[in-house]
Amino acid sequence: MKNLKPRSSRPTPEDALAIATQTAPTLPPARLNVDDRPTTLNLRVRSTTIEALMAVAHGRGLTMKQVVCQALADAGVPVASADLEDRTPRRKDSGRAGL
Amino acid sequence: MSVLTIASSKGGPGKTTVCQLLAGSLAGEAKLVLLDADPSQALSRWARSAYEGSPFETLAEPDETRLAHLIAAKADAADLVIVDTAGFGNRAASVAMTSADAVIVPTLSGEADVTEAEKTMRLIEGLARAARREIPARVLLNRVRKTTLARHAAAEVTAAGLAQFNATISDLVAYGEMTYSGRVPTTGVAGAEVAALIAEMRVLGWAPVITASREHVGS
Repeated sequence: MKNLKPRSSRPTPEDALAIATQTAPTLPPARLNVDDRPTTLNLRVRSTTIEALMAVAHGRGLTMKQVVCQALADAGVPVASADLEDRTPRRKDSGRAGL
Repeated sequence: MSVLTIASSKGGPGKTTVCQLLAGSLAGEAKLVLLDADPSQALSRWARSAYEGSPFETLAEPDETRLAHLIAAKADAADLVIVDTAGFGNRAASVAMTSADAVIVPTLSGEADVTEAEKTMRLIEGLARAARREIPARVLLNRVRKTTLARHAAAEVTAAGLAQFNATISDLVAYGEMTYSGRVPTTGVAGAEVAALIAEMRVLGWAPVITASREHVGS
């Protein structure tokens, strides 16, 4: 079998996800996975690790969970897209907190 | 080695039918993987329950993150990966188009169908620009009848500057029967249409080309 025509390099999974999100940010998921319920992962790590994680999250404007999940996704773990978003509950009057 | 995505932002233009025709026709000559990103799972159900022919691997995955990784993994292992997508604008379809080496956009002849086909083609252009790579795409007229309407639809696609296949898929009972019998048509008008589509895809480099030695082995 002859090889197919040479292709320009295909984007990595992470790049494909980022490009698709940037190009059409309002598109919904193909399926809302109602069975994929949130649950808890407890990790016992050193205080210095937590402090470093907090610092990185603060520096990037992300939650600690986002930093961890993004690193996992970058390492090839198929992290659910919902776990890459900031889903911190916000008070309706949080914008007036400083007033 | 190559990823072919079948996509349209409108439901019902025949994406799954095109996947079935291509898979059933190419499975005997190439290592093929079908990825079903449509939550309805019509394609994977057909492959599992009805299909009769040379085997191929089928996986259902509508989650865009897992789909992106699956496409990358299977593209390295198979001659051709075909991705079927859901019939509305969704993240999994966008990821499949971004990861594709080529995209087929099936459409019917109605005004709304052609308009949605154009929207899909424009989205592919945007994804290609963002990815800084060529993502060739062609419109495929499906369920064509030899009418003025079909000729008008083809003219509208041309007028919009969209690339389209010369091959078309007619409104034939054989294609509907395939969804139940699992037998991909190889004879008659339907068989000739599928052969013409695949021949055109081979010229474009979108489908594997059999060498003489491989043909000899298979004969």
